Amino acid sequence: MSANDILKSLHPLEVKVLLRYGSNDLIDTTRIQEDLRFNLGQCNQAVSWLTAKEFLVEHERVHRTVYEITSLGEEFAQNGTPDERILAFVQEHGSATLPEIASALGLENRDVGSAFGSLSKEGVLAMDAEKRVTVASGTPSERMREVRGLLDEAHGGKELAADRLSAVQNEAMAGISKKRGSAGSPFRLVERDEVTYRLTDAGMDAQENLKTAGVTGEEVGALTSRMLKDGSWRTAQFRAYNINSPPSRTLPGRRNPYCEYLDRVKDKLVSLGFEEFDGPIVETEFWNSDALFMPQFHSARDIHDVYYVKEPAHAREIEEPYLSQVAATHEDGWKTGSAGWNYGFDRDFTRRLILRSQGTVMSAKTLPKASIPGKYFGTLRCFRYDQVDATHLSDFYQTEGIVLGESVNLRTLLGFLQMFAEELAGATEVKYVPGYFPFTEPSVEVHIKHPVLGWFELGGSGIFRPEVTEPLGIKVPVLAWGLGIDRMALMNLGLDDLRELFSTNIENVRLRRGN
Amino acid sequence: MPKIELSQEALFSYLQTRMDDVELEKLLTVAKAELDEPVNDEGIVKIELNDTNRPDLWSTAGLARQLRLHRGAPMPDYGFVSRPGEAAETGTRRVIVDAGLQAVRPFIAAFAVTGTAIDEALLNDLIQTQEKLCWNYGRKRRSIAMGVYRSDLMKYPVRYVAADPDVTRFTPLGLTEELTMREMLSKHPKGQEFGHIVADASAFPLLTDDRGDVLSFPPIINSARIGAVEVGDSNLFIEMTGTDMPSLLHACSIVACDLADAGYTILPVTIEYPYDTPVGREVVTPCYFQTPVSTTVPYIEKLLGRTIAGDELAAGLRRMGIAATVTEAGVTIEPPPYRNDFLHPVDVVEDAMIGLGMDTFPPEVPSDFTVGRLSPAELFGRRVKSILVGLGYQEMIFNYLGSRRDFIERVYPESEWEAQHAAHVQVANPMSENFEFVRASILPHLLIAEAGSANAVYPHLVFEVGKVVRRDATDNYGSITRNSLGMLGADAEAGFTLINSHISALFYYLGRDYTLRESGDARFIPGRCAEIVVNGMAAGWFGEVHPETLEKFGIQVPVCAGEIDLDTVQGV
Repeated sequence: MSANDILKSLHPLEVKVLLRYGSNDLIDTTRIQEDLRFNLGQCNQAVSWLTAKEFLVEHERVHRTVYEITSLGEEFAQNGTPDERILAFVQEHGSATLPEIASALGLENRDVGSAFGSLSKEGVLAMDAEKRVTVASGTPSERMREVRGLLDEAHGGKELAADRLSAVQNEAMAGISKKRGSAGSPFRLVERDEVTYRLTDAGMDAQENLKTAGVTGEEVGALTSRMLKDGSWRTAQFRAYNINSPPSRTLPGRRNPYCEYLDRVKDKLVSLGFEEFDGPIVETEFWNSDALFMPQFHSARDIHDVYYVKEPAHAREIEEPYLSQVAATHEDGWKTGSAGWNYGFDRDFTRRLILRSQGTVMSAKTLPKASIPGKYFGTLRCFRYDQVDATHLSDFYQTEGIVLGESVNLRTLLGFLQMFAEELAGATEVKYVPGYFPFTEPSVEVHIKHPVLGWFELGGSGIFRPEVTEPLGIKVPVLAWGLGIDRMALMNLGLDDLRELFSTNIENVRLRRGN
Repeated sequence: MPKIELSQEALFSYLQTRMDDVELEKLLTVAKAELDEPVNDEGIVKIELNDTNRPDLWSTAGLARQLRLHRGAPMPDYGFVSRPGEAAETGTRRVIVDAGLQAVRPFIAAFAVTGTAIDEALLNDLIQTQEKLCWNYGRKRRSIAMGVYRSDLMKYPVRYVAADPDVTRFTPLGLTEELTMREMLSKHPKGQEFGHIVADASAFPLLTDDRGDVLSFPPIINSARIGAVEVGDSNLFIEMTGTDMPSLLHACSIVACDLADAGYTILPVTIEYPYDTPVGREVVTPCYFQTPVSTTVPYIEKLLGRTIAGDELAAGLRRMGIAATVTEAGVTIEPPPYRNDFLHPVDVVEDAMIGLGMDTFPPEVPSDFTVGRLSPAELFGRRVKSILVGLGYQEMIFNYLGSRRDFIERVYPESEWEAQHAAHVQVANPMSENFEFVRASILPHLLIAEAGSANAVYPHLVFEVGKVVRRDATDNYGSITRNSLGMLGADAEAGFTLINSHISALFYYLGRDYTLRESGDARFIPGRCAEIVVNGMAAGWFGEVHPETLEKFGIQVPVCAGEIDLDTVQGV
């Protein structure tokens, strides 16, 4: 911190202490309280802050035993001790029984009893045959005089240091004091370290800087509404704040960074001319796989790859003519020019309800009603029969899309992939390699080089097979693509576990930083 | 997608060249393959093959063949592959099929090989090919099973018969005692794994030689003698049985071409069927069963996006092992015997793309103009989110699958469990009970989040805009997916008053009107739950969550929550 920063970091309490003393002054809290009219709390704050800054250093530490007068002691000092009051009463009103004295003075019987015991032993008072207290010597005992002296000295909250008391005083004090925490005594015995401090060279430098800057510690903290109304702000000196002191935490309403990332991807795709599609989470085998020309006997369609719906197990119907056209394409290629898969298409199985396993479902479902030329996309929750771990979730997002047009081809597909790589992922280099997807031919994977993270697979793509498009009524080429959006989100958010994207921990989500 | 392990030395030997990992990775892309793990201390590399329609690539020889061709090597000549109807002379090498198999496992293909003594690397490769072909392509031995035998111990002709499973006994590979075929299903590990394929048949498939010595019990297990191939054997008999003739012949050609590439002489075998098959009653295998595919240069050019000269196209296809005739009239290709992935002319287009090289197709900026749009639901959802954020809420996003306990039992009193179960979409084949139900409401997830966040500074205000799925008997699919808003406040002061004011602000800024009616929803404290009505339709609810529900989630602060069907509020 610069000298200026140090000045700004000083609290007015610190400023006042720094300005008050010289390099040879021995400073203790009592002295500060007297000199600067601080209360003990302010005094302790100022000392601890200045010590932490090494402007103040401990000079000496002395262990002390002191006696503090209690509220009872203050009352005794003012109104007399029980001893004094009993003596005065008997001298004034003549002899009386102990209960009469207690009642008249408002004291407890046993307190009066024990006081009389001492006074009687010391020959000040005596008791006659009728058990009435009478005056004996009538002169206060040495003990009484010592106690009175101690009370008078301490009256008003002054501490009495044990090592300053005479032997007699100490003896008298022993009878009227108890340790901290005990009640009912006029004095409290306190043991503590008394520390004296002195200003360091750095402290003296700071004092010099404060003087040069004209800082007094009397500057104004907050601007108040009253100062604005009465114009007193014009003459006020405003204390400079330490702008580097840590701010307090606030709990704002806030978007989830993962959702914000998904939104940015959607916005980018819209800016590239894509229209968003959406659809139900529960789907049929027909749209999930059959319409995508994946044969019903395909190994990827085993029971252990998709989630089946328990009830109802089947959709009531599949829309015609798509059902018949897709079925025929599987069986013998229909009119698509394909040989087909050469098996009997199962029209019950195709109605089987499942949880959508790939976003391509909605690409296929969009085809029958798509415009030409047309571009469509969706960010869709998909479900897979996978053991959940850092790289697999039971449900996750895929971003998929299609481009329909008389003039689209492999090179325009690569053009889109390049656009996605640069616009969505900030890629510096793009690489296209042949890929395999059951529903596209040719198929292309796009790998990109991220400026920080190196090479990774951005997504898959291809041109829909005619066996996919023609049964759904589309005669033009259709580019299809999908992006591994959850993985890109992980990289974007600096996370390495897919489960973190869907965290249920409120504090985690609150603390997550955007990117 | 199959992964194979192969000896890097063997691969380089087939390639007739060596290369580093970078070059290998680049070359592998022409086979849609990826270097999964580079060479280890034992000299093994792991490679992942992405094309499930190219089982010919799932072996060292087959993969190397594609890579070698793409680098310009001449096309191999597999003259041992016969044409259907071709009368090839196979001498005594015959397999005679029993009529009883037609209903059990009707087809078989076979050939023999002779050459140098087989070494460990080749034997391992052969076993791996068998596993990958029969598991990934042969549907776990259901449609293809393969056996390899020591032909020196056999006497032709081989007989493929339907045997009585309780009478026929032999010693299976891996055991030392004889068992009946039925006993093998329960007592042999392979019987336990694959027995279900034949278990229901009255007769089991059996292969014997002419003397009656057992070769194997396909598709389950070889015999312990003829079926125990070892390093050093130089004469082998290889057969495949199955249910689908094209894939069987395909697999047979793949293995034969691999062994031919390894330097072995392939000796075809004649199969005699007592019944009709797609390739006749007598067939010599390996057999060419593919048909030529015709297309045109303009078709290929249209899909690939550039002009391609005829000889350039032919050369490109040659690099994919495809012999092509390119003329003005069109392009005709003949698939190599080891490939069967040409269903449509479009499949030729892809091979042309790979053969010509991806680098020869520069990306082109698309020129069609289209208008981009977010869906109406997305736009409405974003308005909702920005209002909730303004009200101080943290947005959350949750998985959609959960357990009956979290979605139903912890949220509702027991009297409602069955009705709520019936309102949820349940998964028939859950991975675990933790992912067995699709959520019908966002509230359970909000409560789960609250239950796990007692250490987060209060107050908690959280929301999610997402999908819920509810059973609906009127829908074709029996359920409907809806866009929903769930919101929750948790704090010592959280209550009906808080959520009521937030719902009011939300509707005000959405520009929508609503009314409230009292609701007896059991998830809430009686008298502190309101149903939201929009245009006469129930559109949601909000209130103070019942302490019984809170207790079941282990939540120790008061919670108010609400959920709104956004589709209803939006008016779609």
